[in-house]
Amino acid sequence: MSTSSDPRPPASHVLVQFCHADRQYEPLDALTVRYEVQGLAGEELLAVEHSVLWYTEGKGEEDLGVHFFERIVDQQQLPSANAPGGFATDLPSSPLSYEGVIVKIRWCVRVRLFFVGGRDFVSEYVFTMGQLPPARMPMATQS
Amino acid sequence: MRLPRFFGKKRGHRRTGSQAWASLGDAAFHAALLVAGLSFGGLLVSGVAVPEWRINHDFLPTTCEVLGKGLMRRAVTGPGGGSSSTWQPCLRVRYAAGGTIVESWSGAARSTITADRDEAVRRLSAWNIGGSVPGWYDPSDSGSVVLERGYNWPMWLLALVLPGALIVLGGSGLVRTLRRWGRSEERCAARSGLSGILDPLAAATRHAHGHPAVPSCDDFVNSPGTFLRFRLPIESPESWSLIGFGLFAVLWNSVLAVLAVGAGLDLLGGRIDWFLIALLVPFAVVGVAGIVVFARGLLLATAVGTTQVEIAAQPLLPGGTYDVLVAQGGSGGIERLDLDLELEELATFRQGTDTRTERLTVWRQRVRSWRDLTLAPGTRFEGRATVTVPETAMHSFTSEHNAVGWRLVVRGAPVRWPPFMRAFPLVVVPATAEERRVGDRRPSQVAP
Repeated sequence: MSTSSDPRPPASHVLVQFCHADRQYEPLDALTVRYEVQGLAGEELLAVEHSVLWYTEGKGEEDLGVHFFERIVDQQQLPSANAPGGFATDLPSSPLSYEGVIVKIRWCVRVRLFFVGGRDFVSEYVFTMGQLPPARMPMATQS
Repeated sequence: MRLPRFFGKKRGHRRTGSQAWASLGDAAFHAALLVAGLSFGGLLVSGVAVPEWRINHDFLPTTCEVLGKGLMRRAVTGPGGGSSSTWQPCLRVRYAAGGTIVESWSGAARSTITADRDEAVRRLSAWNIGGSVPGWYDPSDSGSVVLERGYNWPMWLLALVLPGALIVLGGSGLVRTLRRWGRSEERCAARSGLSGILDPLAAATRHAHGHPAVPSCDDFVNSPGTFLRFRLPIESPESWSLIGFGLFAVLWNSVLAVLAVGAGLDLLGGRIDWFLIALLVPFAVVGVAGIVVFARGLLLATAVGTTQVEIAAQPLLPGGTYDVLVAQGGSGGIERLDLDLELEELATFRQGTDTRTERLTVWRQRVRSWRDLTLAPGTRFEGRATVTVPETAMHSFTSEHNAVGWRLVVRGAPVRWPPFMRAFPLVVVPATAEERRVGDRRPSQVAP
């Protein structure tokens, strides 16, 4: 999934490759990500942020937990059309990906590009940690 | 220049809103609090603190001869248009200030201020014309003299606490907003040392060691059981409701009592305030209803004896089997007592200006049932059971607005009282790779 804070359709996009092709991981697994920025069209990058995080979806307000974060501002290390980027981390033991009824937990990798003009562009790729079956037995009470 | 959009991206069925406008609004709100605190603090400092400090440090001592006496009246107009007055004894004094003789009026001590004019007149008699009293005059304005020194501590407290709270709230909020300004949500959410200080509520949840987002079970293992290792704490939302009803009944009836005393004094004085009496009737009805609801809740909560649950281990592991003891006190008969293992999801969300929490039980398994129990006073029913956490169970999870929690639930149907339900939270941690590998060889916490 890719989103941008610019109303114009983003020209650039990020192609991410996981070390597990099925994007299925177990807790404490090593996660290695390679990515390629395409369609920069001459736009100059100011910084790139790599993050591995979980977020909640569902009825409640969204919560976010960042497991891995790095911000690259060194022009030598910034990815370009000729030099793909990458990062690696060991996943934590929790929380596991969870498909609940009103609470869902998703893990994802985000690559956020900051351009010199002030525009930023984020690319998000969801992966699964653990192998929990979805919860399905709604019996609601509201307080 | 482009203005930020009001609406941001859409996630699920919700629009998440514009981060930029939200930050702007947040910054404006906290800046307004900060400015209000600084302004209010400035007014109090310049109007109260500085003059008082000067009186105690700069004013020079002198001896004042009392030339005349009088009362100073201060009229205060209330919000309803009515006014009230206070009276302060004042003295016309003559004193030597820097080689010159000065005459001036000055208020007597603050403790002499009263709302009763006759009392103020009586207090005036403490001073005699021609007598001497100590005084302190302003060296930069010899016409300004005071007959009392010291600090008005309640005013100082007000000057510190009220603007101080506004400055702390506004300042910390503004710093927090400015730290997030222009930063991605991932960068803001990444841990930093200041986050806990600037956002203490978000950092309040304790997590299990080595298991991020899994609640700590420290509070669940500090009470030993009588037969099994731990006695589980009871999760009782009904108790909070009962406390709420109790507080409401006390506060409402306190207001009612104050109004009733006023009406009673009027009646004794031969006056009948029909408006007040008409107001008292619905107030009294609500007050009595509050007491009845609280008393009924208290009776229901205490009529059925206490329920205790003990367990052989905490935290629990998926696939693990554990001994459980259920103990039910009280007297009389219980038709049915059920023990269930449940998985519950909690989602907290804002609906307009309300914050609501929805609970949903997404998995339930009957562990054991007991029928036709007869309880005698002084003894308790004790039943044993074995709980098995499913192999593919979701672990306990908690974040600021969402949670997934396991609990043992005891449901009872007493013969003479309404059914009751009591929940005892558990913590399930995710199994490690080693624990998953051993599978069935995992040691169980079941007594032989």
